[in-house]
Amino acid sequence: MKLKTKLTIVLILLVNICVFAQTTYTISGVVLAESDKSPLPGVTIRIANTNTGTQTDFDGEYSIKVKSGDVLEFTYLGYGAKTVKITDQQTLNIILSEESSLLDEIVITGYGTQKKSHLTGAISKVKNETLDQIGVARVDDALVGQVSGVNIQATEGEAGSAPTIRIRGTGSINGNSGPLIVVDGVPVDEDFLGSLDMNNIESFEILKDAASSAIYGSRGGNGVVLITTKSGKEGNTRVSYNMLTGFKTAHQSDAYYTSMADAVALEQEATGNLSDKTRVKQLLGVDNNWQDIIFDGGAFTDHSLSLGGGTKKTKYNAAFNYLNDEGVLLSDNFERTSVNLKIDHKLTKKFTIGLSANPSFTTQKRFDGSTHDILRQPSWLPVYLDENTIQFVNRFRDGGKYANAKIGDYAIQRMFDDYDLVAGAPSMGSGTDISNTSNTNPAAKILERDRVIQRNKFLGSIYAKYKIASGLTFRSKASMNYQYRRETRYQGVLSNRNGASASRLDSTVTKTIRWVVDNTLTYTKEIGKNEVNAVIGNSFENRKQTWNTIQGSVFENDLSPTIDKAASITNQDAYEWKRTLLSFFGRLNYAYDNKYLASFSYRRDGSSVFGPNTKYGDFAAASVGWNVAKEDFLKDSDVINRLKFRVSYGVTGNNDFRTGNQLVDNYPYLAILSNNTTGISGGSQNLVVNPLNVPNPDLTWERQIEFNPGLDFALLNNRISGSVDYYTRTSDQLLLYNPISSTTGFSNALVNLGEVQNSGVELELRTRNIIKDKFKWTTTLIGSKNKNELTDFADSNGQIQNVDSKRAAEWINLEGNPISSFYGWVVDKEIPLEFVNNPYHPIGASAQDVYVKDLNGDGIIDDDDKTILGNPYPDLVWSFANDFKIGNFDFTFMFQGSHGAEVRNMGDQYIFNHFNSAQDFNTSTTPDQQFIRQKIFTNSIIQDASYIALRNLNVGYNFTDKTLSKLKISNARVFVSAQNLFYITADGYTGFNPESINNTSATTYGYQRAGSPVFSTMSLGLNVQF
Amino acid sequence: MKQIKTVLILLVTFVSISCEDTYLSPSLTTGINADSYFANDSEIEAGVLNIYDGIQGVNALQITNNDLNHGVQIEFYVTEMRSDNTETKSNEGEAAQFEFFDIRSTNGIVADYYRSYYNVIFRANLVLDNLTNASASKAPTYEGEAKFLRAYAYFNLVRLFGDIPYVDKLISPLDTETAFTRVASTQIYDLIVDDLQTAVANLSDGGPNDRASKAAAEGLLAKVFLTLGRYSEAQTLLESVMDNSRGFGLETNFKDIFYNEGNNEVLFAIGYLADTRNDSQNFSTEWLNAVGRTSGVNYVSLDAKTALDTYGGNRTLYSYREDQAQAGKYQVIKYLPDGDTDLGIAPTSSDPRSAGNDWIVLRYADILLMHVEAIMAGGASTTSSNAIVSFQQVRTRAGITTPVTSITADELLLERRVELAFENQRFFDIVRFGKANDIFTAFSAANGLGYTSTDLLLPIPQIEIGLSNGLLSQNPGY
Repeated sequence: MKLKTKLTIVLILLVNICVFAQTTYTISGVVLAESDKSPLPGVTIRIANTNTGTQTDFDGEYSIKVKSGDVLEFTYLGYGAKTVKITDQQTLNIILSEESSLLDEIVITGYGTQKKSHLTGAISKVKNETLDQIGVARVDDALVGQVSGVNIQATEGEAGSAPTIRIRGTGSINGNSGPLIVVDGVPVDEDFLGSLDMNNIESFEILKDAASSAIYGSRGGNGVVLITTKSGKEGNTRVSYNMLTGFKTAHQSDAYYTSMADAVALEQEATGNLSDKTRVKQLLGVDNNWQDIIFDGGAFTDHSLSLGGGTKKTKYNAAFNYLNDEGVLLSDNFERTSVNLKIDHKLTKKFTIGLSANPSFTTQKRFDGSTHDILRQPSWLPVYLDENTIQFVNRFRDGGKYANAKIGDYAIQRMFDDYDLVAGAPSMGSGTDISNTSNTNPAAKILERDRVIQRNKFLGSIYAKYKIASGLTFRSKASMNYQYRRETRYQGVLSNRNGASASRLDSTVTKTIRWVVDNTLTYTKEIGKNEVNAVIGNSFENRKQTWNTIQGSVFENDLSPTIDKAASITNQDAYEWKRTLLSFFGRLNYAYDNKYLASFSYRRDGSSVFGPNTKYGDFAAASVGWNVAKEDFLKDSDVINRLKFRVSYGVTGNNDFRTGNQLVDNYPYLAILSNNTTGISGGSQNLVVNPLNVPNPDLTWERQIEFNPGLDFALLNNRISGSVDYYTRTSDQLLLYNPISSTTGFSNALVNLGEVQNSGVELELRTRNIIKDKFKWTTTLIGSKNKNELTDFADSNGQIQNVDSKRAAEWINLEGNPISSFYGWVVDKEIPLEFVNNPYHPIGASAQDVYVKDLNGDGIIDDDDKTILGNPYPDLVWSFANDFKIGNFDFTFMFQGSHGAEVRNMGDQYIFNHFNSAQDFNTSTTPDQQFIRQKIFTNSIIQDASYIALRNLNVGYNFTDKTLSKLKISNARVFVSAQNLFYITADGYTGFNPESINNTSATTYGYQRAGSPVFSTMSLGLNVQF
Repeated sequence: MKQIKTVLILLVTFVSISCEDTYLSPSLTTGINADSYFANDSEIEAGVLNIYDGIQGVNALQITNNDLNHGVQIEFYVTEMRSDNTETKSNEGEAAQFEFFDIRSTNGIVADYYRSYYNVIFRANLVLDNLTNASASKAPTYEGEAKFLRAYAYFNLVRLFGDIPYVDKLISPLDTETAFTRVASTQIYDLIVDDLQTAVANLSDGGPNDRASKAAAEGLLAKVFLTLGRYSEAQTLLESVMDNSRGFGLETNFKDIFYNEGNNEVLFAIGYLADTRNDSQNFSTEWLNAVGRTSGVNYVSLDAKTALDTYGGNRTLYSYREDQAQAGKYQVIKYLPDGDTDLGIAPTSSDPRSAGNDWIVLRYADILLMHVEAIMAGGASTTSSNAIVSFQQVRTRAGITTPVTSITADELLLERRVELAFENQRFFDIVRFGKANDIFTAFSAANGLGYTSTDLLLPIPQIEIGLSNGLLSQNPGY
C-alpha cells in the first residue's frame, strides 16, 4: 500500500521531466542499507514514468537497461526512496536510509491504515518474515508466542484441528470468546484459519484494545485479527517456490503406561506372590504400550508456488498451495489445496478496481476415538489374536460368542475370561476372569471407523476505489464467502462389540454463504502541522446457513459404506437460518506535529439477532497519544529515539453466543417451535411441535469496556525497542444461557447478566544486540500477565456446573474468583493399599476414592468442606526468541511458556481406572470412611498445566553462488526447522498435553480427557525465487 | 464536489433501502414462530402429541446430550430399582444408588426424571393455554388428553417426591415463587383428581391405545382413588371399565401382551417405533448385557426371581431369563429388543439400541387387580365373590387355576408383583399397600442395603435447590 502511494507521489513529481531519446545500455550496482551497510534484497527499481523496472537480488544487486536522462527510482518498504538521474554511469551503488527506522511502518487498522508512529491504541503487527518456515499446518499455530496478550493454545492436537485463541483472556461465558478474524478486510469465521496458506500471508495485525477494535463494534469485543494476504508488486514476474517437509512424533506420558513387567514386580514385591489374574495375564505374553500404537507419528509436506508481478497499471499475485499432514495420531490426516488470486488494476488515475479469489479445499480425516478410552486398556491385551494368544480364547462363554475366533481377529478382553490355570485351558465357568470391560479392541474403534470432514470454501471479493478529490477516496467492496462442509462418519461392522447391528453412517452437510458489502469514504489531509485522517462508512452483512443430516443404520458389511446400503434411515434432520448485520461507522485520527495524537471512533450496529427493542448497539472509543521523543528536548537524543505515551478507552460488544441450538442462537427473541421431531399416534409417526426456548425480546449486546494506557519506546539508536501495556477489560451484560427451574418447562434461558473483568500487563521488548555486515543478532522477549475475575453474577453467584451428571466434577462461578474455577474437596491422603479390594487388578489402576480434608473441622464431610481448587487460565504467558544471521547462515529459536493454569485431568480418572469398582475400598475394614470421597470430586486430578517449550528452532543457509544467477534463480535458501524439540511440563502433571482441553464451554473450561499429545516436528525446507 | 454528492446520495440510498425492518428481521424458515401457531385444530393437535412425546423421552443412544429429557425411559430407575424387584448387574455407579437406597441429591437420573415430568406438565399447560383456538368439537378432546397427561405426570411426581411445586399454567423464569414453592401433596392430588375427572368426561374409547381414552382416564383415576383411600369411587370407575361393552379383556397368551402391540388388554401405552431417531427407545437394551451405551441395569433381583419361580405360573417364562453372558444374573424379557429364539420372540428392531417396544402404562390385568383392591378397601382380606372373580381371571390366564375363597392384602400384593413385574408398579404398590417399611426393612437387612423410612421419597434435585436461593426445601434424609 505504502509502496504504491509513494510511487504515485514520485510519479506526479516527475511528470514534467523531459525525456530525450538516447541509446540504451545496462547499468548495474548494489543497494545497501545505511545503518549496517547490508545488502537489501527486493528493492524496487523503476525508470520513472515508464513501466520498466526490476528488483535487487538477494545480494542487493541489480542491473537494468537505461538511457541517459532516465530517472531511476529506488523504493523499499521502511526506507526512504531515492531517485537518481542517469548520466552515463556504468555502475550506480545506492544507500537507502531507514526511514526513522520502524516509525513510519504502516499499520492496517479496521477500514484503513495508520502510521505506526501515530497509533494510540494497542495494535501488534506480525510480518510474515519467517512464519512460513514453521512446520505447522495452520496459520494460527504459527502465531504462538509472536504477540503479547494473545494466547494460542493447542486444545486439540489432531491434524488440522483449530487451536483456541484468546486475546487478553476469556471475557465471556456463553458468548464466543474468540477474536474476530478479518482477511483482506472481509470478516470470516474462525474456521477459515484452517484454509489459509501461510506462504501467501503478508502480515497479521492484532487489534487488542477496545479503542482499536471498536470500529468493528459488536464483533470487536474479543479482539480482532486482521490478515493481509500477499499482493503483486510492480516489476517482472517473480516466481517463488516454497517447500517444507518433515515428520511429527508424539510426546508420551510415562504415567499412562504400566507395563506387565512393572505390574508383576509391584505385586510380587508387595505380596510375595502373584494372583491368579496376574498369572493368566502373564501367560498371554503381551506387553503393549498403547501409546505406541495410537501415536504413530506422521509425515507432512507443504508445497507453495506463487507468481507475482505487474505494471504500473496492473498488479497481480497468484499462489497455489498443497499441504498434507498425517498428524501424530493413528489414522488422522489433514490435506489442503488452495489457490489465491489477487489482481489490482488502475483504470484511470483516479479509478482503481480489483478482485481476489481464494478457493480452498480441505479434507480432514479424524481420529475417531478417545485417547482416554484407549489408554485405559491394559498392556496385556494384544491388538490381534496370534498363534499364542488364540489358545486362551474362551469359546464357551457369552453363549459361544467367541467360538469362531481365529488368528488375525481383533482381541477382545472378554475372550480371555474364565481361564483354568490348573488345567491350562479355557474353562466353563470355574476359571479366572481377567477382563475389566466388554468393549471391543481399542484399535478396532479407530481402524474400523472412518470420519472425514471435507471443507470446500470460496472467498472472493471485488472492489472499486475512486479518488474523488485530493485526499478524498471512496471505496466500495463486496465479498462473498461460501463454505461447504460435509462430515461423514462411518462406524463399521467391527467397530463395536455389537457388530453389524451397531454399524451406522452419519452424513452432515452444512452450507454457509456470507455476503459483506462495505462502503467507505476516506479523507486524509495535511494542513501545516495538522494531519487528519477520517473515514466514514457503512457495512451490510448477510449470512445464511443450511444444514442437513442423515443417518443410516445397520450395514451388512463394510464393502460399500454408502447410505443406500443401510438397513434403515434412522435419522434425517435439517435446518436453516439467516442473520444480518447493518452498520454505520466513522473514525477520526488527528495528529499535530507528529507529537499530539488523538483518535475517535464510533460504530452503530443493527443485528438481526436481537428483538425490535434492542436491535441497535452503539460502540464508541477514544484514544490519545503523545510522542514525547518528538519534543524539542528529546529530538536529537541518541538515547531516546522514540517515546510515546498513549491511553485508550472504548466500548465493544458481542452478539455471538452458543446455546446448543442454532435456531435459538439466531432468533433468541422469538418463541420458536421445533417441528423436526415426531411423536407416535396410533403406532405411526406424526408431527409434533415443541417449544425450543424461552424467548427474550429484551436480550441485548454483551459489552466490553476497556481502558488501556500504554507506552512505546526505542532507545540507544533503536537498539532497544518495545512497548508496555496495561489494560482492564470489563465485560458486562454477559450473554448467559442461565440455568432456570425445570418446572418452567425449560432448563435454561438466555439473559444478560453478570460482569467479568480481565486485567493484565503486556510487554514486548526487542533488542538488536549485534548489527554487523556479516553478523546480526536480535532478541525478542514477549510476556503477558492476565487476571480473570468474575466481579458480578447477581442471583447466579455461586452457581455450580458440571460437564455431565455421570462425571459430575464441579466448577463454580463465584464472585471474586476466576470464572469457572475448579471446585471440590481437598485431598488429605490416599487410602492405604491394604484396604483396597483388588489393588493389583486391573493393572495400572488405582483406587477411585481418597481421604479428604474436613476443612471446617465439624467432623463431617459435606458441601461446606468444598473449596476452590484452581482455574484453567494461565497467569503468565511468555516467549523468548533470538535471531542470528552469520554470513549466509541464519539461526533462530524461540522458547515459549505458560504458567499458572491448572487442568482437571480426567485422563487419570479413565486411565487409572477410577471408575472400576474392583478398586473400591473394603467397607468393613477401612477406618474413617466418613472422610472418604471419590477422587473426581477432589483436587486429586487438578494438575498444574504450566509448560516451557522450545517452540521453534530454525537453521537456514542462503545460497549466494553466482551460478544461481545463471540458472535465473535470484534467491535460494534451504533450512531445517524443528518445533517442540523439548517440552517440559510441571511436576505432578501426568498427561501428554497440558494445553489440551476437551470441553471448551466457558463454564466448565479446563476439562482435559487425555486428549491428543504434544508433538515434535522436524522438517526440511527450501525456498527458491526466480 | 458533484462527485461527492453523487457518492453521498448513493450511500444514503443504500442505507435507506436496507433500513427496512425486513433486512434486520429475517423470518424463521425452519422452526415455527410460536406467536402465530396453535391457531387451528391440526396445529393444536401437534401440541397435544407433543405431550405424549415428552413422556416418550429421547433415546439416549441417538442424542448423547445428557441434558435432554429421557422421560419414561428412565422411570425404572426411580421405581423398580428402588424396590425389591431389580438392581444393577455391577452394583456400581450412579445407577446403583437406587438399589442401595443411597440416592444423592445430585443424582442425575433423579434430576432427569423431575425435569422430564415437569416438562410434560409444561407441554400440557401449553395446549390448555391455546385451547380457545380449537374448534368446539375438538376442544373437549384436546382438553381431556392434556389434563389426562398432566395428571399422569403429577401422579408420578407426587408419589416420588411428596410435596412439589404446583404449576397449572405457563410460568415465566421470573416466577420463582411458583417454581420453588412446595405445595402440600393433598393440593396436588386435588388437581390430579380434577384433571382426570375432566378427562373421563371429555374423552371416549375406540382410539389407539397410545392415546388417552375414557377407559385409561377411569383406570388411572381409580388408581389415584386407591392411593387416596377413596375405594368406592375407585370401584365404580373400575367396574365401568370392566363392563363388557367397553371391549377390554385379557390376552390369551401372557407373552402377547408385550409382543402383540395394540392388543385390547392395553388401556394406555407410550408408543415407540423401531429404528427411528425420534421415536425409538433405549431402555430395552440397557437391561441387557454389554449391548448399549449403558447396560446391565434393571437386572432381576433374586428376591423377584424367587417370587416369580414360586408364584408366577406360566408368566415366569416370559418375565425373566438367565443372562447368557453371565451365569447367576437375570434379565427382564418383557421388552426384548433383539428377541430370543428359544422363547419364540422375534427382534423388534435391527439395532437393539433403537428398540420399538411400547411402554405399557395401564393394562386390563391391572384393572382387575385394582378391582380386588378397591373391594378390599384397605382391609386385610376380602371374600367378596366379585373380587375373587377378578382375581381368578388374572391367575387363570397365568395357568394357576386353583380356586380361592378369600384374598389377603399380602396375596394381592404378591399377585400384583408377579403379574406386573418390571412394569414400574412394584414400588408404588408397596407404598400404597402400606407395607413399605416392613418389606424394605427386611429386604434391606437381607441384602446389606441402607433403607431408612426417609428413602420412600426421592431427593428434590440439587440443581433446583441450588437455583432457588433457599426457597426450595429438601426432603428429610438428604
